Amino acid sequence: MSLLLGLMGRIGPKFNRGNLRALRPAFDAIDSFLFCAGHRTDRAPHVRDPNNVKRYTLAVVAALLPIIAAAVYFFGWRIVAMIGVTYVTGLAIELGFAMFRKEALGEGLLVTSLLYPLILPPQLPFWMTAAGIAFGVVVGKELFGGTGRNFLNPALAGRCFLQIGLHADWSSLLFGTASASGVSGGCAGEVCSVLIILAGVFLVLAGVVNWRTILSLLGSFAILAGVAAWASPEAFGRPGWTPPAVAAWHLQAGGLLFGAVFLAADPATSPVSNLGKWIYGVTIGASTFLIRYLSGCVEGVMFAILLGNVAAPLCDKIATHVHLRKLRYEG
Amino acid sequence: MKPRGGYNVPLGGRPGPEVEVLPDPDALHVPLAGRRLKFTDVRVRDGQAVRPGQVLAVDPERYDVPLLAPRAGRVTVTNKALVLRDLSQEQEEPYKGEQFDHAARAEAAGAAGAARRKLVDLGAWQFLRDAFSGQLPDPAGFPRAVVVTTMSYEPFSARGDVQVAKRLASFTRGLEHIQGLLEHQPIYLAVPAAKSELAEQVRRTVRGYAYVKVVTIPRRYPLDHPALIARRLGLRSRGGSIWSLGVAGVLAVDRAMTASLPSTVRIVAVGGPGVSRPTHVKVCAGWPIREILDACGAAGNVRVLMGGALTGEAWSPEDQPGLCGECTSLTVLRDEAPRKLFGWARPGWSRQSFSPHYVSRLRPSFTERLGTALGGERRACVSCQLCERACPAGIWPHLIHKHLLRGNVERAAALRLDLCVECGLCSYVCPSKIELLDQFRAGRKAIAGMAAEQDGQTREHARKEARQ
Repeated sequence: MSLLLGLMGRIGPKFNRGNLRALRPAFDAIDSFLFCAGHRTDRAPHVRDPNNVKRYTLAVVAALLPIIAAAVYFFGWRIVAMIGVTYVTGLAIELGFAMFRKEALGEGLLVTSLLYPLILPPQLPFWMTAAGIAFGVVVGKELFGGTGRNFLNPALAGRCFLQIGLHADWSSLLFGTASASGVSGGCAGEVCSVLIILAGVFLVLAGVVNWRTILSLLGSFAILAGVAAWASPEAFGRPGWTPPAVAAWHLQAGGLLFGAVFLAADPATSPVSNLGKWIYGVTIGASTFLIRYLSGCVEGVMFAILLGNVAAPLCDKIATHVHLRKLRYEG
Repeated sequence: MKPRGGYNVPLGGRPGPEVEVLPDPDALHVPLAGRRLKFTDVRVRDGQAVRPGQVLAVDPERYDVPLLAPRAGRVTVTNKALVLRDLSQEQEEPYKGEQFDHAARAEAAGAAGAARRKLVDLGAWQFLRDAFSGQLPDPAGFPRAVVVTTMSYEPFSARGDVQVAKRLASFTRGLEHIQGLLEHQPIYLAVPAAKSELAEQVRRTVRGYAYVKVVTIPRRYPLDHPALIARRLGLRSRGGSIWSLGVAGVLAVDRAMTASLPSTVRIVAVGGPGVSRPTHVKVCAGWPIREILDACGAAGNVRVLMGGALTGEAWSPEDQPGLCGECTSLTVLRDEAPRKLFGWARPGWSRQSFSPHYVSRLRPSFTERLGTALGGERRACVSCQLCERACPAGIWPHLIHKHLLRGNVERAAALRLDLCVECGLCSYVCPSKIELLDQFRAGRKAIAGMAAEQDGQTREHARKEARQ
């Protein structure tokens, strides 16, 4: 370890000038990935918490690993190849932006590149996978300043581009897979509901995602689906099923669970306030319900979350107003 | 307001309850400027012999608060400090305030006014601060309430229990003297929510004082901050000052009012992972910091902070060799940022964090040898809300940061940046390593500047209208 550290220390200064200077972000990314940058504080507070953005994204990666394993089990090693294609394409684009801006390479891609293949049909051609992530990273993230400054989820932006822009034959790809016990039809990562629920519990306990978003999203959707099944069993129910059973089936079907846990609850693109997250969750839940039940679209979670992303500042505005009213007699 | 937020940083090296007396130094380097006070008007000549308690300089902008000679000696005047050499070994009789004409003042300002002026002259007034602004209160004004805090939760400030342990009688007498300065305003005595013999003794002693109201504060940094205690009591910054002072302040008031003696002795906490013997020391302003550190076993590559680990500023031996009179603690950190292979991905059994990302959550709390490592790379805010959860003031640091980043000070002010108590917890917990405390200090200064400008404009407008 000390040998490697010494080697990095020796070759590091070479990237400060000359032709190699442009590659500084790449070297820094590798260096900090291996050893965490050894920066020290220069102002108060002089001690800091050991937590950092890498650690933060690591929790999401850890939560995704079992889901990737399940996807490999159901759809084969092609998923791993898709993740590889996504990483290579995304990394090349992010590195290009980092070198152009002379900024450090962000950690957001670590998660985005795992999430993105999991919300694609497993049979999607590789070139489409690459085109989607390229669009997602460029338009969904980098044009707005990179991780943390993006207002759209880059993985969803990429998938939306594929579905609308490239007219990918989504339905035939999506439902080409058979459902099994505890397993529902859908994209690569959406098939094993049990694992997604466990991952959600883990992420909430790890403090990475906010439970308010997940609860309000799933809760509002379940209530609407239940009420619809009760009010009009012929149109919205299933023969012989009670309204709660219909709601529960809808919850685990398609990308709703995966979307709620991994995509809607992404802290950077959801509102920054707790009340805002409640409003945001209900917005997405209700939009999913409307799209699934009343439009021609097969699956509405992606559009609903993107709509929620766009509405997030509005949710924050309402929440800020309430927050400031609470504080008006203080201080 | 309910107590919210806060976090106890698990820093190792907490000073013990004992107070050590150090051997006298050769010279005292008394700084002319501290965090709050700037003693620009020097009242002694170069080479002049001074007695203890004699006025060396005053702060003309802050009610002529004096800088008192901590010992007898000969003064050398420099730009930044007054150096006292040839320190007398014998305990010379200190000035008892005879350098001030109290009788004339009593005639001019009444008995209460004269008593307050006596506190100013004998160096006790410096211990008071306005709970919200942190500034020195006006000795001529009356407060709406007085908040006395007996604890200090920041690692590591001089602990109230250490100071009050042997001087409970002086403490209660000091409270009586403070009450004598007031008309009918209440004194709130903040005590920690802990069952200790001393805390119980303090409660028992003040039980008979109708004007003292005891407030129990949870043991979490920085809930002991006077502004947070005042907010908890429903007090507001508008409509009059709220005085706040700690145990050292009450003892100084008692010393001044009972014995007419100046307050020049300070009990300073020296702690942190960088010292081998964390303890409290009895020193005075100007004491060579190097000697204090040597006595406590600070060696190797360390960074010394004047103040606590979260709000203290780094000490530079060249700039300030002597202890500032306002400094209540020295925190010594190991100046290192060890790099471990995949350090960010390790389970973290021996690392504690505010966020629940580390498996040490499964262990009972323990202290750590925290150094000056930043702990990660600087990134853009990811809206993780950790700062919001840690913030004791109930504001949203992440949102204020985004507005300040765009230069929108007005919006930051609207989001109640004024409620920030500058505790530094938001910077401490931030995974993106954003310097929120620094940014908020600058933001608050800009808001204060804007308010002063607006005030000036309003006054100018009123003056013009009056002329018409």
